[in-house]
Amino acid sequence: MHETNKEWLPGFDKKFAELTHQMVKDLEKCLQCGKCTGQCPAAKLSSYNPREIIRDLRMGNVEKVISSHELWLCFFCSGCYAVCPRDINFPFAISMLRYAALAQGYGWEEVKKIKDPYAQDYYNTGLSVNINERNLGIKKEIAKNSKTDGRIETVRKKMGLPPKRLVSERAMSEIKFIADATGMTDLFKEINKKKAKEKQWNYGSPADLVKVKKGPNQKFIDVEEEEKEKIS
Amino acid sequence: MPRQEVLEKTKISDRMFLFQPCVGSNKYPGLITASIEFFRKLGIELVTSDDQTCCGGFLTFTNVAQPTSTMPAVARNLAVAEEMGLDILTLCNGCHTFLTEFSHFMNDRPPVKNVVNVILSMIGREYKGSQDIYHSLEIIYKLKERIREKVTRPLNGMKFATHYGCHYLNGFKKTALDDPHMPTIMEELIEAMGGEIAEYGENRTCCGTGLTQIIINKEDLSLPHTKMKLDDLNAAEPDAVVVVCPYCLAQIDRMQQKLNYRGSGKYRVPVIHLVQLIGLALGVDTVKLGFDAHAISFRHFLKKFDSMHAKAEVHSG
Repeated sequence: MHETNKEWLPGFDKKFAELTHQMVKDLEKCLQCGKCTGQCPAAKLSSYNPREIIRDLRMGNVEKVISSHELWLCFFCSGCYAVCPRDINFPFAISMLRYAALAQGYGWEEVKKIKDPYAQDYYNTGLSVNINERNLGIKKEIAKNSKTDGRIETVRKKMGLPPKRLVSERAMSEIKFIADATGMTDLFKEINKKKAKEKQWNYGSPADLVKVKKGPNQKFIDVEEEEKEKIS
Repeated sequence: MPRQEVLEKTKISDRMFLFQPCVGSNKYPGLITASIEFFRKLGIELVTSDDQTCCGGFLTFTNVAQPTSTMPAVARNLAVAEEMGLDILTLCNGCHTFLTEFSHFMNDRPPVKNVVNVILSMIGREYKGSQDIYHSLEIIYKLKERIREKVTRPLNGMKFATHYGCHYLNGFKKTALDDPHMPTIMEELIEAMGGEIAEYGENRTCCGTGLTQIIINKEDLSLPHTKMKLDDLNAAEPDAVVVVCPYCLAQIDRMQQKLNYRGSGKYRVPVIHLVQLIGLALGVDTVKLGFDAHAISFRHFLKKFDSMHAKAEVHSG
């Protein structure tokens, strides 16, 4: 499944710049010093290794990187860029490689997780964070601390603000127009129904350094349920 | 770039456009009210607009919308401020990154800017790229002496840990105000207001949000990372953690509750945004600082803060 070096090496820099919308330059200048991996939060806890990924890209194993499980572990903290002696903006490369992975059919299940709460809220309300607190535990804490019902609307009213931040109708129609005209809306629909290809490659098993007790999970409440609660 | 050069480039005007962050509106409303109130005390009027939405760049870097879709969305937000003739002040590392990166991208490539403007012309707007985009730290640091003079409730006797977040310093290592590895600007600001610093080793590590990791790998990556940071933070025993990004605020604040609930430790460090802290020191009404919306209670923090002031009055009286 791996390409041969010959396919990529001549004119690698140009091809890669194209693949990353010209947002990442100088990847071919990587020294393989490994400073990026040394400071990487994801590398600390998993098999993610930026140096190894750059090496694979440089060797022409683009398909391997794109189909890998590790492509979806980056934190986007830009720490690798901060320490890089060659100033390679690797998080941007990861972001663009993820688009390449989507084009090949990988990773659609990951973007669906992001699209459902955040992008849909952006499309519906103009803000990518919902005002309704879905975690009941947090809501209880806020209720206790603020001596209210724990809803952000109530807290905002207490502070002398309107219950919700106002986004004008003009702004809403404008962002919807941009979303429709540029294909954002279509992509959302595609994310909803697209079946992801199974990822092909694992660089290794997670190191599992810090253990967090799993479960019991907190109760989550649907916004709709909450509305019903309010009505009754 | 040396700090002095960045400071010289930072222009402070009497009116600035406050770019409202989504988390700051819908989860922690205190960030916006606190900054409007204390900037007024410093003689700067912050203007907001209902036409401003989420920055939009967020969607591209989480791979749910192509850059071609979010570029006009970002340009639209920039145009809203540009029409008012104002420079932008951001409270969120994310907003700052996306607005700055996209505006540079468009300004450096006239053909891209032209295409974006074709789309914007259909909604009656135009992006020229004439304004400056500032992170709140740049403006606040430049106003350090003015803040020092205006402090009415000094932070004496309180210990603060700092958390800079990733995107401002790491992502802009060549143009940011401070060094990404050993930043000191927030410490200097806290000391200017009379506070003490609690040093801890994991200062420069990510809060754990990791842009997408909080959603796609919450249990395996995000939560353990936050736990690691919090354990180190607890050992330094600060009265509060000071952050400059609403996402870091949400992560460190909310995940403490989650870890407590699961029995993975005892965490109760209040998390405060720098603008709320300055608001507190400059005497902004505590209700307007919005501590009510935080998951970790500020009761002990405010009690200690008040008792320190009571002591100070006894000594001086």
